[in-house]
Amino acid sequence: MLFKKLIRTIGRYKAQFISMIIMVGLGVGIFLGFNIEWKTLEVNVAKAFEDTGFADYRIVNERGFSEEDLKKIESIDGVDAASRFLSVNVPRKDDEDIVMLTVSENISVSGFKVLEGTPYDPDDAEGLWISERYAKQNGLSVGDTYTMVYKSLEFSGPIRGLVKSGEYMICLVEKAQLMPDHEKNGFVYVSPAYMKAKVGMTFYPQIHVRSDLPKETMIDRVEAALGKSYMIVDKELVTSYAEAHGEMTEGKTMAALLPVIFLAIAILTMITTMHRISISEKTQIGTLKSLGFKDRRILRHYAAYGLFISICGTVLGVVLGLGIGYFFINPNSVMGDYLDMEHWELHMPLWSIAVVIMINVVLVLATLYSVASMMKGTAAEALKPYAPKAMRRMWIEKKKVWKDLSFATKWNIRDILRHKSRSFMTLFGIISCMLILIASFGINDTLNSYIDDFFENSICYKTKIVLDTEQAGDADVAALIDRYEADWTSSMGVQIGENTYAMEIYGLEHEYFRFVKGHGEHIDLPDDGVLICERIAKKEGLKVGDTFTVSVYGTSEKYDLKVADIAKSISESVMMSDTYAGKLGVNYQITELFTNETEIEESPIISSTQTKQALLDTFKSFTELMNVMIVMLVFISVLLGIVVLYNLGIMSYAERYRELATLKVVGFKDRHISRILIDQNLWMTILGVLVGIPAGIGVLKILLVMLASDYELTLTIKWLTYLIATALTFGVSFIVGVMVSRKNKDIDMVEALKVAE
Amino acid sequence: MKIVEISHVSRVYKVGDHEQKALDDVSLELESGKTIVILGPSGAGKSTLLNLLGGLDSPTSGTIKIKGQDISTLNADQLAEYRASGVGFIFQAYNLIPTLTVLENVALVKEIAKDPLSSHDMLREVGLGDHMYKFPVELSGGEQQRVSIARAVTKNPDILLCDEPTGALDTETGIMVLKLLQRMAKEHGKTTIIVTHNQNIAKMADVVVHVKNGKIKEVINNDKPLAVEEVEW
Repeated sequence: MLFKKLIRTIGRYKAQFISMIIMVGLGVGIFLGFNIEWKTLEVNVAKAFEDTGFADYRIVNERGFSEEDLKKIESIDGVDAASRFLSVNVPRKDDEDIVMLTVSENISVSGFKVLEGTPYDPDDAEGLWISERYAKQNGLSVGDTYTMVYKSLEFSGPIRGLVKSGEYMICLVEKAQLMPDHEKNGFVYVSPAYMKAKVGMTFYPQIHVRSDLPKETMIDRVEAALGKSYMIVDKELVTSYAEAHGEMTEGKTMAALLPVIFLAIAILTMITTMHRISISEKTQIGTLKSLGFKDRRILRHYAAYGLFISICGTVLGVVLGLGIGYFFINPNSVMGDYLDMEHWELHMPLWSIAVVIMINVVLVLATLYSVASMMKGTAAEALKPYAPKAMRRMWIEKKKVWKDLSFATKWNIRDILRHKSRSFMTLFGIISCMLILIASFGINDTLNSYIDDFFENSICYKTKIVLDTEQAGDADVAALIDRYEADWTSSMGVQIGENTYAMEIYGLEHEYFRFVKGHGEHIDLPDDGVLICERIAKKEGLKVGDTFTVSVYGTSEKYDLKVADIAKSISESVMMSDTYAGKLGVNYQITELFTNETEIEESPIISSTQTKQALLDTFKSFTELMNVMIVMLVFISVLLGIVVLYNLGIMSYAERYRELATLKVVGFKDRHISRILIDQNLWMTILGVLVGIPAGIGVLKILLVMLASDYELTLTIKWLTYLIATALTFGVSFIVGVMVSRKNKDIDMVEALKVAE
Repeated sequence: MKIVEISHVSRVYKVGDHEQKALDDVSLELESGKTIVILGPSGAGKSTLLNLLGGLDSPTSGTIKIKGQDISTLNADQLAEYRASGVGFIFQAYNLIPTLTVLENVALVKEIAKDPLSSHDMLREVGLGDHMYKFPVELSGGEQQRVSIARAVTKNPDILLCDEPTGALDTETGIMVLKLLQRMAKEHGKTTIIVTHNQNIAKMADVVVHVKNGKIKEVINNDKPLAVEEVEW
């Protein structure tokens, strides 16, 4: 019989029940969705690295490693496997595509997995194993012939297999590139036999190592084995590893931040709503008690309400969570564009199931807590209707201004203060809505400003020419600079203490490359000091005016450099002018040219070219990823606002039903009463917006630190963002206010004439 | 002068598939300035009649004229205007707003009534001059009903509609409230319509309307209405 009561009560309070189910569903869904996101990445990325023998260390020597060097590395205690490795960017013949031509002597290290075609054969001197993603985008199949041009040599051969490689999981051919372009870029593996057959020799500037040794030990042992210090890059600095793990960290951060807001709202809404429902049910609770039902039985009955909500909410949440997980992590998603990996099956951390169970327990306990307070005392006491707290005069009522307020204002002020938990929840809902809107639009503003700083203000050239440093003599480079009226840069690896950075020397006669700081302010490259990027400044504790020492990799050269200013940079670099480099006597070789010419003739000293437009195009995909996230967050925050405010609005309406009916009976028109209700909503919204703005900025600051510490982002929020976020929040509040106040028309005035139970 | 003219009024409620006639072809005329008591057992239709007179409900058929104006055809806004100035309600459950003080409860009607009286004066008249800044919960039942009377009269309506005004009060307090109601109606020249099942209250009425099964059984004009204190309670 009590089951029938359960069903009918749910029907009676269906708006509240539906709101709570949606809230729990949103909370659980977002919690699971973000946890599924990072866990799926973790499992599938690890599998991709494992399948293709992703190396833990890369030892770099631009002059190349001999077979003997390799043997010495292989013999180091703690090295599981090692392979000499070559990867160079080469253009496809008669095309703008750039692929990374790769040779790994021992394919079990930094190798690949064949998805289609024949397995790798180290003695195959003709075939190519090509990136499956790139092949699909370009209509290439196994058996087709593919041709690249490198150092005026044609590298051609039949495609033996379509493959994936952990090394190129994030296939970026250019350091300033943020998103891969699978149509224009890919990778091609060939065997050492192939290279020998085409070039007559093999040249390996890297040795890739699989080893569990810590970095310091590895550095010491490599130095001891080779008798010289080399630049050793651990996997955490390799784009594929770093960025994929960065995505996981972002997912973990989002999973730790966002769901907390939603779950907190779900639990608080549950407590507030169940309290309200149990107030309405108080005399029924008393009746059941007086009929002889034991407290435990009654509590069990009411626990079923909480259980019903939490189970329905959890089911909805699981569906939503899987949906969110799939939305972010599937081969056709923006993440699918970013990461080139084989497996995309969704995975969920096991402990998240325990958390969801805990959430259910908390929700049921919240229900029990609300009901238990109504059951206190004897059956006779429980039978009495709920007596709200008596009104007391507040301090503000003693002020003169109080007398001048309209009755509606006084009524609303007292109602807010009288129903503190409801008011707090309303405020919390509005603040959360505003906070998410400000933070998500703010991310967009910050990224756009970042892109503007770098690609509108910094990059002023039309084409970048990457030189083949082995072929390019000083005279050839000088001729090219003259011919294309080019600016230039030279890049080398340096160490500051234990840390590895890039040092870039610039010759900027035409200002095709400019430096920015803060909010895009232009700074000149000084002749008596260097610019360092914000990350180096932070990591090394350097400030303007400080002097620090860099040692150039592979040499005994050391330079004392003075920090002239702190600039923004995509890579972690020390930037200096050619004049300053000249003063210090730095040895360098020009590696890249910047020009306004777009027609660049083929030349043996040019390794590749890249247009600014091609670079900008990759950002479109990057901003698309952000936009997808922002649209989802905006949708969620608006939904959150509507559900919370509607639920609380309905509750407030139910609590004031009798008063509203009285107003109607004494002659207040529906729209007058609606205005009073909407007024209260608007006050709460104003307050929520005022608190939500700084809260949103605070959350955005945290997000930027946690999610994007690899980029030198400057928190930027445009006025339009404040305007849109405020308008959306007010819009939500107003729409819900109108939805609730429309119910005024249905107030049964005759009911108001009846004696209260 | 006729203030109320009810002509062939019926009110039918639908309960599922079943139709329930709360009022069945009722006609009634009432004079201005009188005290009218509508008597009848539970479910007789007396509250339905009061609701129709107060513009809280509309008849299924028939017309109701108040001071010559047919209120049965008014829309929701027009009915609200009628309630704001035409009638004052006094409920058995007082129906005060708990979050407003006594004074604010009375003064709130000044925001909507066309020609309201002073809420301060009215509260003093009902003997609550010292309780103006208290909240309803701080008052006794009788005091709350006095606030309700003050609120009804402050609107300065032509008619006071009272639904079991003493139903929630003990006898002594009830007598005091009725005394006040009678005095206020007389002093301010209001027509008072009281719905009750208490036969004794009928003795103080100028007109007693007996209602049963949705029909008016009898209308008795009482030439010698008793003062409240003369009624045997």
